[in-house]
Amino acid sequence: MNAEIYLDNNSFIHRLDPRTKITIFLLTFIAILLFEDPLWMMPVTFFILLQLVISGSIHNLRRIRYILIVLTISSLVLWNLFSKGITPLFWIFKVESFYFSIARTLLMTLMISAGMILISTTRNEELVLGMIRMGMPYRVGFAISTALRLVPTIASSTQTISQAQRSRGLDLDSGSLVERVRKFLPLLVPVFISTIRNTNIFGMALESKGFGAREKRTFYLKLEMKKADYLVLAFAILFVAASITFSIMGYGQIAGLTRF
Amino acid sequence: MSEPIVSICDLQYRYRGQKEFALNGINLDLSKGEFLVVMGPSEAGKSTLAATINGLIPHFQKGKLIGDVTVMGRKTRENTVAQMAEIVGMVFQDFEAQLFSTNVELEVAFGPENFAVEREEIGRRINENLDYVGLDAIRHRPPSTLSGGQKQKLAIASVLALKPTVLVMDEPTTDLDPISKMGVFEITHRLCKRDDLTLMIIEHETEEALYADRVALIKDGKLVKVGAVREVLSDVDLMEKMGVMPLGIPKFFKRMGIRRPKVLCSIFESNLPLTPEEGFEAFTKTDWKISESAYQKLVSEEHAALAKLNRPLIQCRNLEHSYSKEVKALDGVSLDIFEGDMVAIVGQNGSGKTTLAKHFNGLLMPTGGEILVNDLPTREQGVFKLGQRVGYVFQNPDHQIFSETVFDEVAFSPRLRKLSEDEVKQRVKEALKAVGLAGYEEQDPFALTKSGRQRVAVASVLAAQPEVLILDEPTTGLDYAEQRSMMDMVCRLNEQGSTIIFITHHMWVVAEYARRVLVLKDGKILLSGATRDVFSHGDELRDSSLRPPHFVEFSNRLGHTFLTPEEMSNCIEGVQD
Repeated sequence: MNAEIYLDNNSFIHRLDPRTKITIFLLTFIAILLFEDPLWMMPVTFFILLQLVISGSIHNLRRIRYILIVLTISSLVLWNLFSKGITPLFWIFKVESFYFSIARTLLMTLMISAGMILISTTRNEELVLGMIRMGMPYRVGFAISTALRLVPTIASSTQTISQAQRSRGLDLDSGSLVERVRKFLPLLVPVFISTIRNTNIFGMALESKGFGAREKRTFYLKLEMKKADYLVLAFAILFVAASITFSIMGYGQIAGLTRF
Repeated sequence: MSEPIVSICDLQYRYRGQKEFALNGINLDLSKGEFLVVMGPSEAGKSTLAATINGLIPHFQKGKLIGDVTVMGRKTRENTVAQMAEIVGMVFQDFEAQLFSTNVELEVAFGPENFAVEREEIGRRINENLDYVGLDAIRHRPPSTLSGGQKQKLAIASVLALKPTVLVMDEPTTDLDPISKMGVFEITHRLCKRDDLTLMIIEHETEEALYADRVALIKDGKLVKVGAVREVLSDVDLMEKMGVMPLGIPKFFKRMGIRRPKVLCSIFESNLPLTPEEGFEAFTKTDWKISESAYQKLVSEEHAALAKLNRPLIQCRNLEHSYSKEVKALDGVSLDIFEGDMVAIVGQNGSGKTTLAKHFNGLLMPTGGEILVNDLPTREQGVFKLGQRVGYVFQNPDHQIFSETVFDEVAFSPRLRKLSEDEVKQRVKEALKAVGLAGYEEQDPFALTKSGRQRVAVASVLAAQPEVLILDEPTTGLDYAEQRSMMDMVCRLNEQGSTIIFITHHMWVVAEYARRVLVLKDGKILLSGATRDVFSHGDELRDSSLRPPHFVEFSNRLGHTFLTPEEMSNCIEGVQD
């Protein structure tokens, strides 16, 4: 099974410079945080969907679809309870808070999608190098990339471990909630221990290859901002500037909504 | 003689929190271009010794270090691991954890980048080293998609890119199939000759040690013997005593020599033949002959015993399995496994062995064809129900152990099956007795050695009292003595009526313990049959990256397939006492 997050395609988005992608990722956050009204979030949603399709990252979203569904449902419920409206919809729900819950849910899924696009289209090394060129210290960048790298390792060892315990008769799909939680212990302990063991070897291998031997290090990868990068960046900046202007002018807010 | 490159002087080392010294007074020099293989039983201090060469000990693993390790005038004590990395390269056994880049090129670039090597020079080193280990064609692939052998070659290339003077490898081939093993050793051998690189390799398998100049045997943190490769490997008795696998060919001649010492001395002087070629040559010089009648008797007895097994437990008909659309991991496998059988499944890394075995207990369901266990399709039974009949011991015991005591670990499965506590106790007792761990009930399983944890894993599967026991690489990571006792135990279970299926890369284990062998290649069955028949097909085996042990190869050249030295020496005529 392939547990890698990075998708080895060669789409337009893959070819962009990591700095462009990181900037767009950050700008996306600003753009989606500006509005309370889901309708005003539609343009960003459209661009993120476009990126998902072009880059093929939608495949990775499909892999985490269960988590997304759980998050969507709980967020829809919670944001209804944590905000107040004035126009009744049904039972205790109000129209304004219902809209707002949609907007917040959208915000969450869009953030996850934007992050997924970034790591599905950018190699770990490119991401680190991009962050360093943007001013982050090497060690911090390396720590981030190591954390990302652990995800597929843990996923694949979890799979093996759950198979091992299932063949011993562990049945994860039945029993009460408490029983089910208890049943995860036979999975968690081995996952934890094998991850620690792996990390230990990883650490030794790193040092053995001279990690941190010199103050400065070189990079074999070469980053280059091309015409496409500047065009995409210019568009993204204009888009966010426009969004900010609209937001300041008072558009995209929900009248009659009280947030806690 | 020139200055030694590596000099180990009165070295003692104790891990923090331990009472015993893991290394206890080691003195050893390595000269330029020398190739040393270090062998010894588990816990002898081999890996500890390897870790002292580049300073992982004492810098990464804290403890008490007495004495000195000096590499090219640099004391490891006074230099960090990263500083030593320029002169000492280190390759580990676990090839998953030591590769961390997203493509092959960048993996090789990582080391030189740390030493601020110019970009153009890094490019040159990437080209040179990938070309050298033969990974040039796949330089843009992510390492996670490579086979085990390729990963280990990549690990070597990535270390060579630092242009070290010394290369230390800690069991680099343990998880590899026989031909990949040879590939790695062939590369290291070339290296020694090309760059005057000094090599130190920790190895379990004696056949691989034949490439070395010198062999060091260590036990309990002490050097027992260091000497030229021929001298050490000929000392069959010492090796056996130390729990290191002796070579079959010298063992055979030694055995024959006990029957007729004078002949042996006159033919071989002090050196016993070691390789199949030498063995063949030496054999033709004697007046020994293989008794045709004794051989035929051996073969017919074996076939008669196999013919007695006739109740099929597992039947596969045209079994197919694909993980993705492009590749079929299993492609039309048809086979029967009979009650009381002892079957070895062999094949190169990625040939579908584990995928096949996971169908037997319902962990995987076929995407084509069918598989019946006890005449019922596995799909109708499910893994929970099948688990009672078909037990599966995974390769890595750490992937299943989670309890605080050995008792609880072994009791896990019976308890899940809602047995009474008395019955659980009885089952645990029997299972622990079967694996030789009676009396260990209250111990912490994590504190046991690898071989101990492996036994706990087997016991915890046995406690469900399955009819069929599947073992995925039961001998990997164990030393020779542990491998033997593990397989002897499996053999006893088979004699008591369990049907055994095991996956392995260790060909001598197959030769000595399996009744039948299945050879898989690219998801298809290439060869199957009685062990002796399969091992007589040397060429087909090579096709699937396997080769019989040296001893079997040697007997094949004499026109007969013998699986053990004992068996062969009993079939020899022409030896007068």
